[in-house]
Amino acid sequence: MENTDKSLIEAHIKGDPAAFGELVRRYGDNVLGYLMRMSGNRHQAEDLFQETFKRVHEKAHTFRGSRFKSWLYTIATNVAIDGIRRLRRSPVVSLNQKLDCDGDNLQELAAVAAVDNSCNPSQEVQKAEQTEQVRRAVDSLPAKQRATLVLAYYQQLNYREVAAVLGCSVGTVKTQMYRALRTLAQKLPDI
Amino acid sequence: MKHHLTERELIEYQFKLASEARMEESAEHLKGCGGCRELLERLQRKFAALDLLSDEIKVGEDLISQVIEQTGRPVRKKIVPFKIPAWVGTAAAVLFVGLLVLVANLDKDEIKGPEVVKQPIRTANETKLSEKMDSGPRPESRTGFRGDYAEKIEIAQARKAPQSDVISGIAEYTVPEQPPFAPASAIELVTLPRRDKVQLTIYNSADLTLVREMRNLTLKKGWNWLQFMWANTLIDPTSLSLEPLEQGDKIDIQQLVFPARLRELGRWLIRSEVSGQVPFEITYFTSGISWRAFYMGTLSQDERKMLLQGYVRVGNKSGEDYENAQTRLIVGKVHIFDQIAELAKRRYPYDRPGIVEYDAYMGRRDTATAYGAFGEEMLGERLVQLGDLKPKEIKKEGLSEYFLYTIEGTETIPNEWGKRLLSFNAEDIGVESLYKYDEERWGGEVIRFVKFANDEDHNMGQTPIPDGDVKIYVQADEQDYLSYVGGTNIKYIPVDEEVELNLGPARLVKVEPKLMDFKTDNYVFDNRGNIAGWDEIRTWKIELTNTRTLPIEIEITRDFGTSYWRLQADIPYEKHDATHARFNISLEPRSKRTFSYTVRTCHGLREETLRQ
Repeated sequence: MENTDKSLIEAHIKGDPAAFGELVRRYGDNVLGYLMRMSGNRHQAEDLFQETFKRVHEKAHTFRGSRFKSWLYTIATNVAIDGIRRLRRSPVVSLNQKLDCDGDNLQELAAVAAVDNSCNPSQEVQKAEQTEQVRRAVDSLPAKQRATLVLAYYQQLNYREVAAVLGCSVGTVKTQMYRALRTLAQKLPDI
Repeated sequence: MKHHLTERELIEYQFKLASEARMEESAEHLKGCGGCRELLERLQRKFAALDLLSDEIKVGEDLISQVIEQTGRPVRKKIVPFKIPAWVGTAAAVLFVGLLVLVANLDKDEIKGPEVVKQPIRTANETKLSEKMDSGPRPESRTGFRGDYAEKIEIAQARKAPQSDVISGIAEYTVPEQPPFAPASAIELVTLPRRDKVQLTIYNSADLTLVREMRNLTLKKGWNWLQFMWANTLIDPTSLSLEPLEQGDKIDIQQLVFPARLRELGRWLIRSEVSGQVPFEITYFTSGISWRAFYMGTLSQDERKMLLQGYVRVGNKSGEDYENAQTRLIVGKVHIFDQIAELAKRRYPYDRPGIVEYDAYMGRRDTATAYGAFGEEMLGERLVQLGDLKPKEIKKEGLSEYFLYTIEGTETIPNEWGKRLLSFNAEDIGVESLYKYDEERWGGEVIRFVKFANDEDHNMGQTPIPDGDVKIYVQADEQDYLSYVGGTNIKYIPVDEEVELNLGPARLVKVEPKLMDFKTDNYVFDNRGNIAGWDEIRTWKIELTNTRTLPIEIEITRDFGTSYWRLQADIPYEKHDATHARFNISLEPRSKRTFSYTVRTCHGLREETLRQ
């Protein structure tokens, strides 16, 4: 029988190192996906990912039997919002990281993708451009709206679960979602 | 819907943000409006771009390893840097110069030396509360910005530092009379730690449980806010109470605040003259925890002795897990003004009467589903422990109008769980098997009863027996195989009262009354010659059959429909009440017996004659 989240957390508190690993593997993809969409940057998302699970480790004893997934997303949301805010205050550019995708980079990426996938390079360039536009549009949303959109649309949580994660009412979630979509409707590219 | 859908309505429709009614209206409109359909399709195409970010993202093994590795390290304490505002530096410089001038003008012997000034300023993380406590009262010379600054650091540390387990006063810091204004967003809260102890007193006559929790709260000297939330539970917020168990004279619970716009949340304002851990008791009523009694009786083969085992089943649907709770059960009727569950569902704790919000209830259902997994895990844990389990004693004692059962030790009762515990085990209770026949109550069937008393003669009588279901079995043979006899529900049985358990119709015992003769007599006429009074005389033959292998007692009750009757019978009878007579007959195993009686009933003016 598969271990429940609660039993894994309890085992972790008792010092079972395997339990925490299982939790990380169970939710890792979801959390990293969430953080990538929140931060728009794999590097930063990986940092936030580590920070998220570090907080889970530190705060494990405070988990009180509610849904672990919601609790985890709540922590990830707080970490993401804090991290993004910190980065905006003092932006850090990694020395070995590519700069944001400009036209040249997009073409380069598209060329690689075209070789890999045997697709039309111009289509790939267009797709990469559009993806970047979407990313910018999502990044432009206020943090709460972005968290709502990402949780509801990409992480496929229902509105009640999103409300539990963000600690607000379902009505507030719907309002945030509508505002996010209204903004995106102006900014998203036509495909 | 006459008008076309706006962009907002289309977005709300597409992403299911509108109410169900609005969704249906929009869907109806879209069926008949090509223009709106086209707009919707355009929006759908627009939002399809969002899927460009939907790529599946996988975590690398390296990253997982790093995360797991960092959990092996000790937890790093968070260091809060204490930033010094620029003006503090300026003020310090001015004071420094002033102090130098003062020192130059004073006799050198009178000053303690400039060590205070020279001493480096410690950062918040370097300054420990324990140092302050060890150092005792601050010398008066340590005044000025240095002293104030250190004081601020230490108080800030006290707010954040739960590491001090010692309750200690800080002599220099006087608590302001007025509490600080604390808007919801800026409030600094005392963390509500785990329960150290919890006691549940569960009433079975009402949906009511008194919860008493003992928790150690870490207070700072001054004003403290303690937040308590009851979302997704059935706690009655109007019943919340908080009391310090120690340092009562130094801690004042000022008020319980229910902040506006924040649902299912209350904050206590606590004024404390001490800092450190203080044990508190939090009490409140909750709904959703119930208990009921039930019993299993096993009759001996000759049905003269019975083993009676009483159980209590405690169920928790309150939305809250209660771990290691001392559990007490109350027998007796409680008068309550409100239904606790209704109070718990109110939007605000002191809402207008009759207004009930159901969101909380719906939320509770979600939580209940979530607890399913927890329940399974608990089951596993419990099954492991089964080998060590021995029945817990349930201590019983009288309590005013009620009776209190205390379950030995503590019990963990997770939400949505029930737990059965042995209440008592009374062996060799002398019982009488009794069959009753009363057409008025049970039609033509003979009903079987088991009779005993809740007294010392029957190895019982220590406590009242609460309401509950009873199942009776009989030992079918020497191998202790059991045969189910019947079940019933008993009402509350006080000490020294007799109990009759109705086990339902008996198939092996029959009572067949036959009307053998009927006639009328003693007519009385009025002035016009009409019949105004008469007697009816009926002769009945009652045939009794016992096909059991045991001797039995049968109680036959006959109803005459009037209180004016006379009876002549072959066997003795007793007048049960004004309109009934009762026969008690013994029957040998596998035997038949017949008896007859003649009853004369008086009607009309004959009733008067009989009365005279």
